[in-house]
Amino acid sequence: MKPLTQDALIEQLSAIVGADKVRTDADSLTTFGKDWTKVYEPNPSAIVFPKTTEQVRDIVLLANEYGIALVPSGGRTGLSAGAVAANGEVVVAFDYMNQLTDFNAVDRTVKCGAGVITEQLQTYAEEQGLFYPVDFASAGSSQIGGNIGTNAGGIKVIRWGMTRDWVAGLTVVTGKGDVLQLNKDLLKNNTGYDLRQLFIGGEGTLGFVTEATMRLTRPPKNLTVLVLAIPELDDVMKVLNQFQSSMDLTAFEFFSDKAMRKVLARGDVPAPFESSAEYYALIEFEAVTEADMELSMTLFEQCLEAGWVVDGVISQSETQAANLWRLREDISETIAEWTPYKNDISVVVSKVPPFLRDIDDIVTREYPDFDIIWFGHIGDGNLHLNILKPEALAKEEFFARCNKVSTWVMEVVAKYQGSISAEHGVGMTKKAYLTYTRSEAEIDYMRAMKAVFDPKGVMNPGKLLP
Amino acid sequence: MKVLVAVKRVIDYNVKVRVKSDNTDVDLTNVKMAMNPFCEIAVEEAVRLKEKGIATEIVVVSIGPKVAQEQIRTALALGADRGILVETDEKLESLSVAKLLKAVVEKEQPQLVLMGKQTIDSDNNQTGQMLGALTGMAQGTFASEVAIDGDKVNVTREIDGGLRTVALNLPAIVTTDLRLNEPRYASLPNIMKAKRKPLDVTTPADLGVEVKSTLSLVKVTPPAQREAGIKVADVAQLVEKLKNEAKVL
Ligand SMILES: Cc1cc2nc3c(=O)[nH]c(=O)nc-3n(C[C@H](O)[C@H](O)[C@H](O)COP(=O)(O)OP(=O)(O)OC[C@H]3O[C@@H](n4cnc5c(N)ncnc54)[C@H](O)[C@@H]3O)c2cc1C
Ligand SMILES: Cc1cc2nc3c(=O)[nH]c(=O)nc-3n(C[C@H](O)[C@H](O)[C@H](O)COP(=O)(O)OP(=O)(O)OC[C@H]3O[C@@H](n4cnc5c(N)ncnc54)[C@H](O)[C@@H]3O)c2cc1C
Repeated sequence: MKPLTQDALIEQLSAIVGADKVRTDADSLTTFGKDWTKVYEPNPSAIVFPKTTEQVRDIVLLANEYGIALVPSGGRTGLSAGAVAANGEVVVAFDYMNQLTDFNAVDRTVKCGAGVITEQLQTYAEEQGLFYPVDFASAGSSQIGGNIGTNAGGIKVIRWGMTRDWVAGLTVVTGKGDVLQLNKDLLKNNTGYDLRQLFIGGEGTLGFVTEATMRLTRPPKNLTVLVLAIPELDDVMKVLNQFQSSMDLTAFEFFSDKAMRKVLARGDVPAPFESSAEYYALIEFEAVTEADMELSMTLFEQCLEAGWVVDGVISQSETQAANLWRLREDISETIAEWTPYKNDISVVVSKVPPFLRDIDDIVTREYPDFDIIWFGHIGDGNLHLNILKPEALAKEEFFARCNKVSTWVMEVVAKYQGSISAEHGVGMTKKAYLTYTRSEAEIDYMRAMKAVFDPKGVMNPGKLLP
Repeated sequence: MKVLVAVKRVIDYNVKVRVKSDNTDVDLTNVKMAMNPFCEIAVEEAVRLKEKGIATEIVVVSIGPKVAQEQIRTALALGADRGILVETDEKLESLSVAKLLKAVVEKEQPQLVLMGKQTIDSDNNQTGQMLGALTGMAQGTFASEVAIDGDKVNVTREIDGGLRTVALNLPAIVTTDLRLNEPRYASLPNIMKAKRKPLDVTTPADLGVEVKSTLSLVKVTPPAQREAGIKVADVAQLVEKLKNEAKVL
């Protein structure tokens, strides 16, 4: 392998995508060299914007020939530094592959370029009288390619599952430069290994997703939102149980009073009630008939009588439903200014109560002087534990201290057979903890798989695998 | 002091309104309905007057189909004491609504009538004013502040480029503007309590009002679609376009 000079690299890339689709200006290098994390300094050597699968393939072949490291970049809203280029890599950005084509009303599918924004797909579905259910606060910026790269979850997983459940077929370019059509959009296709699944959640380490056929479904009816005040952490899951045993929920989220205070301090979201409690649950369901509404009231009453809940509100309009959702959805963005250290951990739902108690013990013991923000998709057993950086503390020192405590947190995760990254992926920030969820043997198989698809290691090196 | 609040069931503010393909009306099939936002503000103001010990009873009235009971129940959950539904499936114009409200006012004898300055469906902004004319009561429209002062009510009105405060003799009619207050959510315990609050159903005929239409809806058209944006090469071109195309400089 003969390494390319920077000039030769730009020339070769330009030959593939055209000179106007290769950028090396300082602005582009910092913007496209990082995701939502603030841990690593971006330092890519070029940003390239392919328009077709063939161009992506040619970039990969070039990378193989000259040993160039490639970083797939979507909307760069990732929370584990999966799309960060800190070591002179070439960033491959999919912004120009953002077409929606081949809508099929019978199959209820639509083909998306990897660069289609999540919200673009949601809006498109709505215009066809259908629904794309994967949703989260960054849907206005994240891309389908990135969602597939991380197997994004979000706020509706309890009812509609993860991104994986909506991918009917993929076009990928492997790290070797082969173009594969995976699953051909079939619902039933038992012909051996489903390679599609390896690229979902693969964080761009096996190859590029260039196109995806996504499934759509019927839109939900009259989504209604409850926010309940719950004084004791232990009782959050009792409330979940009470509701879930009688009705299908479309969301069950939780957040702490501290988290809500931060959102309310913005001044543009109304408070749900005058009283306060340590924790809140946000419950969403389809109120199709008056009976559904009645049932939710009865369940609320039961929770009230049991003493788990002290107050609650229910949306009377879509406007109110949207405003109640903001209490939960605006947390991530609101706390971003405190450079939060993010834990995205999960256990099976039945183990959540003792798990939360153990985690609570650790953070109260280890972080007496830090602000801790609890929230998460708790109905899926998924907790987002955020540690806020005190103003006076330097970033490096803060992250070093958090990393130390994380080892304790991860030990609890391992004890409960949980996941060190429920939906944000591993990237660079969670790599050191992978062994708490995956066995050495399992990781060896993952490495072997990587070697099959990407023998020269050009795809997103340094991510995911320790 | 007895306060009467009028609330209307309208298409939810958050819903993207669609026009029927033959342009005869707005498409209401499977569309979420809710209380008119300005009526929500009127209810909130009445509840605040009660919390201050000024209002002693809040009566909420809605004129519309049977399902408008939902909006009355919401108002009851927010703190109103009793509800009246004037049930009719007719599509009512402002004047008919004002006549029906006049009949309710005569029966209830409120000291203060609170209503929205307009509804977000028909955008007429005239029901409160018509009620004023029909009853001879004083009216304070576009209220951003309401203060009861003995047998008067001081209403601060939002007018072009400023504020104007008027004192009205009670009984009076006040129509609410957006900045009067921020309505609260209905709490679940209050929603349950509201189920036991009285809600009387009456009809235009019971009230001795004949509702008739004086206009017909000719056509409804959606707003023009926004054109896609363009990218400019540099600041000079931006200034040029703002000057010559947009004509804003
Ligand atoms: C405010 C906020 C809230 C969030 N809430 C949630 C949430 O509730 N649930 C959740 O799951 N996530 C959440 N996230 C995280 C993030 O939005 C998701 O991980 C999302 O899927 C990332 O998409 P992206 O396009 O921004 O990907 P990027 O960050 O650009 O990339 C993510 C990973 O995918 C790879 N990748 C990107 N494009 C491709 C491609 N075409 N082919 C192969 N690999 C590719 C990248 O290399 C990287 O490893 C949140 C983030 C923010 C900022
Ligand atoms: C009347 C009839 C109706 C049928 N209807 C359907 C239908 O509606 N849908 C459908 O999907 N199938 C159907 N089948 C096919 C068949 O029943 C299914 O494929 C079933 O899953 C096979 O299970 P088995 O235990 O009989 O497996 P076997 O036939 O014994 O084995 C099937 C495969 O699994 C492997 N295998 C078996 N055990 C293990 C193990 N422990 N670990 C790893 N590999 C193993 C075998 O090596 C073989 O490759 C039908 C078959 C019949 C006869």
